Amino acid sequence: MNLLALHCTHQTTPLAIRERLAFASREQLARAYSELRRRFSESEAVILSTCNRVELYLAHPGDDAEQTRQQLAQFLSEFHDVPLDEFVGELRADSGSEAVWHLFAVISSLDSMVLGEPQIVSQVKEAYRAAEENGACGPLVHSLFQSAIRVSGRVRSETKLAEGRVSVASVAVGDFAKKIFDNFADKLVLIIGAGEMAEETLRYLKDEGVREIVVINRSPERAERLAREWSGRAEPWSDLDLWLGRADVIVSTTGAERPIVNAARFRQARAKSAGRTAFVLDLGAPRDFEPAVDKLDDVFLYDIDSLSRTCEDNRHARVREIEAARQIIADELAKFMAEFHRRASGDVVSRLMQDWHGVSKEELDRLFAKQPHLTARDREAIERTVERIVNKLLHPPLETLKHESREGTPHGLIDALKRLFRLEG
Amino acid sequence: MPNVNLFCFLASYLVAFSLDVARLRAQSAWSRWIAILFGAAGLLAQTLYLLLRSSLTHQPPLLSSAHDWLLVLAWLAVLTHLFVSLLDSTIASGLVVWPVVLLLVGASHFVTASTSPELDFHHEWKMLHASMLMLGTAAILFGFILSLLYLWQHRRLKHRQMLTSGLTLPSLERLERFNRWSILVSVPLLTFGVASGIGLSVMGKPDAAPTWTDPVVLGGSVMWLLMCGLFAWLLSGQRTPGRQVAWLTAWSCGFLLFMMVGLQVLTEVIQMPSLHGRDVTRRVPGNEPAPPAVR
Repeated sequence: MNLLALHCTHQTTPLAIRERLAFASREQLARAYSELRRRFSESEAVILSTCNRVELYLAHPGDDAEQTRQQLAQFLSEFHDVPLDEFVGELRADSGSEAVWHLFAVISSLDSMVLGEPQIVSQVKEAYRAAEENGACGPLVHSLFQSAIRVSGRVRSETKLAEGRVSVASVAVGDFAKKIFDNFADKLVLIIGAGEMAEETLRYLKDEGVREIVVINRSPERAERLAREWSGRAEPWSDLDLWLGRADVIVSTTGAERPIVNAARFRQARAKSAGRTAFVLDLGAPRDFEPAVDKLDDVFLYDIDSLSRTCEDNRHARVREIEAARQIIADELAKFMAEFHRRASGDVVSRLMQDWHGVSKEELDRLFAKQPHLTARDREAIERTVERIVNKLLHPPLETLKHESREGTPHGLIDALKRLFRLEG
Repeated sequence: MPNVNLFCFLASYLVAFSLDVARLRAQSAWSRWIAILFGAAGLLAQTLYLLLRSSLTHQPPLLSSAHDWLLVLAWLAVLTHLFVSLLDSTIASGLVVWPVVLLLVGASHFVTASTSPELDFHHEWKMLHASMLMLGTAAILFGFILSLLYLWQHRRLKHRQMLTSGLTLPSLERLERFNRWSILVSVPLLTFGVASGIGLSVMGKPDAAPTWTDPVVLGGSVMWLLMCGLFAWLLSGQRTPGRQVAWLTAWSCGFLLFMMVGLQVLTEVIQMPSLHGRDVTRRVPGNEPAPPAVR
């Protein structure tokens, strides 16, 4: 068996092509596996399709990787009804150990858009599970994906590749808001505006247990929509000062051309709640809150610039861990390939042993039929002796085969053994 | 009993502190565990030292001398710090706790290690008096440490500074809550301690030195009054920014600790008569000299 990985990713292929080659639904995936089984009946396959990549892993019996690559590309073209020449140049193929390296790098998030992001592990696991459900997995694919999952675990536990948050919203909530408040269930969150980043921040805040959300927007419809989506309530723009005074967490993303809240307005709004801590996340560009607001005691104001610096630092820290992750991948790759080559020669070994022991058994049966006076004890002693002779005769060639397998699949030696001992039949 | 002296645990705590400081520069799993190990080794040595002194003086450490009293206070701080560190090894509390512990252990070297012969009288009451004052002072010590942690965390958040990867500080909300509780707990304990002290001086021997002019008693009374004021202010319901509360408690608790420890040292250095420091009892038949210190 040989391994082939055919892939187009965010690093090599534009989204316009990736989305046409994607396997979007479970039904589509089931049809794809059915078609793959028809076209590559003796192969094992896994399809990994996410918003950033479309990848096909194939364990196939043939030795011609280029031919298999063309057949797989043809399959993609016909299945998605996309002319081959529109995407074939965007496809990348890896075979053998390079295919294994690619999968290990993908699951370790070295190939992700956001280095170290954790979702890819569950996406690979999900792809593997779907392949298993569709009967596309075999021993080699099982071994490959289980090794890949182990690699991702090692990379995450032995390096800092996944440490430190790298998005503005996650840094704001995880690194700062959580260091101010211990418990979010009793905190009031005020959303001013309705930008995408506000929604992302809300998602992180919800994960922390936020229950009370108030949305204020100049457009009541947009405020209503966002409030409904996040189980909050919309309030009129005219009540902004009232809610500025009551809120514990304020997320602002209005898109206004100049700041809407200055220090004097904020101080006045919070006059009744003096002494209460406020976390203000200003995601507006230009900013919605004047920087002087941060001078107020127990007000923590963060804008995109101040958080981006942290994100950038965390990104750099992750980049510094790439080499350590590669080292783990190289280590696991060596282990996997040794096992892979051992498996390749394992078939020949078992058949050779089966044949030789079969012959010895036939001869012993013939001998025992001619010598009926032999006691059970004598027979057992003879059987043991013959078994030892067979094992000793087989030991040198099998040891040589095992030794050669450490460097790669010993195709020449396997062929020679097959021909010498007529193992084809 | 092993040959343990003050330097043994002082050195262990110093190493643990140095390792915690080093964690600010670069985080590694082994360094934090080695810091905990050194802290634990120091705690063990200190426990043995206190037990040894207790067996020599035939008194519990709380009653034997000012030297032991300060060491028990430091011992409580180390025990709490190690417990918290085992619960969360990423917490950076050691950077604040170790300097305080080192100061307490260092100060204990300069105060008297002799026991007072007066201890034979009203032993249980004196034990209660010393225990309440010790626990009350420990609560003030924790309030001081929590306030410093609060101010550090507040400054870090205001300046958008990240801690070294793998180091954390508790949230402001949690620090404020614990700080408030430590003050609220300290006052009843100190009140019991002061009240039992008054009772003891009323029941005291007629030939004993006057208690009311004792500088440590005076200092303790001021401490109690100040904490009562802080207690009343915290319970008044007036909402004050957390940073102001932290500054106030840091200053008042720091001042009180400084005064308590400072007075103990002062009575020893200038040989001021004090029932809680130098031996001031009039020599009467039956009064045996204090046992030698093991320092």
